[in-house]
Amino acid sequence: MIEGLIESFTKTFITEDRWLSLLRGLGTTLTITFFALILGLFLGFLIAVVRSTYDMNYKGRKKTGFKAVTVKILNALCNIYITVIRGTPMVVQLMIMYFIVFSSSRNGLIAAILSFGINSGAYVAEIVRSGIMSIDKGQFEASRSLGFNYNSTMIHIILPQAFKNVLPALGNEFIVLLKETSVAGYVAVQDLTYIANLIRSRTYEAFFPLIATALIYLVLVLIISFFLKKLERRLRNSDH
Amino acid sequence: MTTDKNEVLIKVDDVHKRFDDIEVLKGISTEIHKGDVIVIIGASGSGKSTFLRCLNRLEETTSGHIYFEGVDITDPKVDINLHRQKMGMVFQQFNLFPHMTVLGNMTLGPIKLLKQTKEEAEANAMKLLERVGLADRANSYPSQLSGGQKQRIAIVRALAMNPDVLLFDEPTSALDPEMVGEVLEVMKSLAKEGMTMAVVTHEMGFAREVGTQVMFIDEGVIVEQGEPDKFFDNPESPRLRDFLSKVL
Repeated sequence: MIEGLIESFTKTFITEDRWLSLLRGLGTTLTITFFALILGLFLGFLIAVVRSTYDMNYKGRKKTGFKAVTVKILNALCNIYITVIRGTPMVVQLMIMYFIVFSSSRNGLIAAILSFGINSGAYVAEIVRSGIMSIDKGQFEASRSLGFNYNSTMIHIILPQAFKNVLPALGNEFIVLLKETSVAGYVAVQDLTYIANLIRSRTYEAFFPLIATALIYLVLVLIISFFLKKLERRLRNSDH
Repeated sequence: MTTDKNEVLIKVDDVHKRFDDIEVLKGISTEIHKGDVIVIIGASGSGKSTFLRCLNRLEETTSGHIYFEGVDITDPKVDINLHRQKMGMVFQQFNLFPHMTVLGNMTLGPIKLLKQTKEEAEANAMKLLERVGLADRANSYPSQLSGGQKQRIAIVRALAMNPDVLLFDEPTSALDPEMVGEVLEVMKSLAKEGMTMAVVTHEMGFAREVGTQVMFIDEGVIVEQGEPDKFFDNPESPRLRDFLSKVL
């Protein structure tokens, strides 16, 4: 019994330096998550600002002129983007990115980063938009009455408060993103899950590769949660 | 109207404001001179707050013109942000920025918009805080302050921009009764120093004591305007008489 376990452990991690492959897989997972997170946050904040600008200033109003038309078109584009991304499975988006958009280069890593980032952006956008809409109108007015223009008001007054309000939801999205990258193997990216599955198929040992992988994800999530809580506490110092 | 020879700071010319199908302001014309304290009274829904908010274009006028220091600020080509720097505003709900300290609230505008150095802006803010007796709260967050303290901070935040006129939109209406006095005191001392102010309020005592002009707005028009003594003791229009009989 014990010997069996030791043998299977050895086969999974030690033979052919398989722990190194797992480590490389972990590195790939973290790389995808990191860059997709940045891309997602960037896209998400941008779209959230466009959508809430439209909601607050143009929705249902008969405004004309170049600026109004631009905002309306941008808002429509953002809506389509969010609808499509949220209405289709992540794996399908990933395969479209790899097999269709990247069909000539077949760079799996870049395709994965882009499609996870674009996917995450749609969710971040809705989270941040809800945060912006939750800020009292008086905050806008106070800032504008001091002489700040719309953009500065967003940057100095609205977004910092919105960010603080939606940090728990953003943290959740971050965790979802990390776990979702486990489907990157569909486009031949050798992430943690892909490597674990590879080891399983080579060694005919399922227990250690899969349980170890699960544990690694779990630990990563715990670490992220820890730092998010710390950040939340730090940002909360203004409401005693 | 006033026969004051002082310089005209704000000239309002036939301003209309329409929200969808409701016309809230139906042609308002008046002048605010330098050093004036215009107190605007009226029933709720009369358009008095809307009128005040039109003065710095927080509400866009539907038609008519508003000249501030000689510039037509209702002209869409005007950079309203520059003119707003010279028009401080104090709100009923204070609207302090909750994610910044008192000092942060007061120095954001001067640093970012007036390009003061941090030291300059903070020194100036401390002077203003001392003036309203809140120097010890410089590093507090708004959530740690009482309503009266918040409103005093809101006033000095507006003052830190060194404005030419201050607009007050029911500054004491959200306060507990025992805190109204401390805010009115600050406003009185500003008036005494010659600050030009337009104040929407229900504080008739303040209107009488501090106002240089009192304006009664009803159903979107200025029904009556005059110096406080005459305004309160000998109101001409029946609507004003009716209103005063209810509030005094």
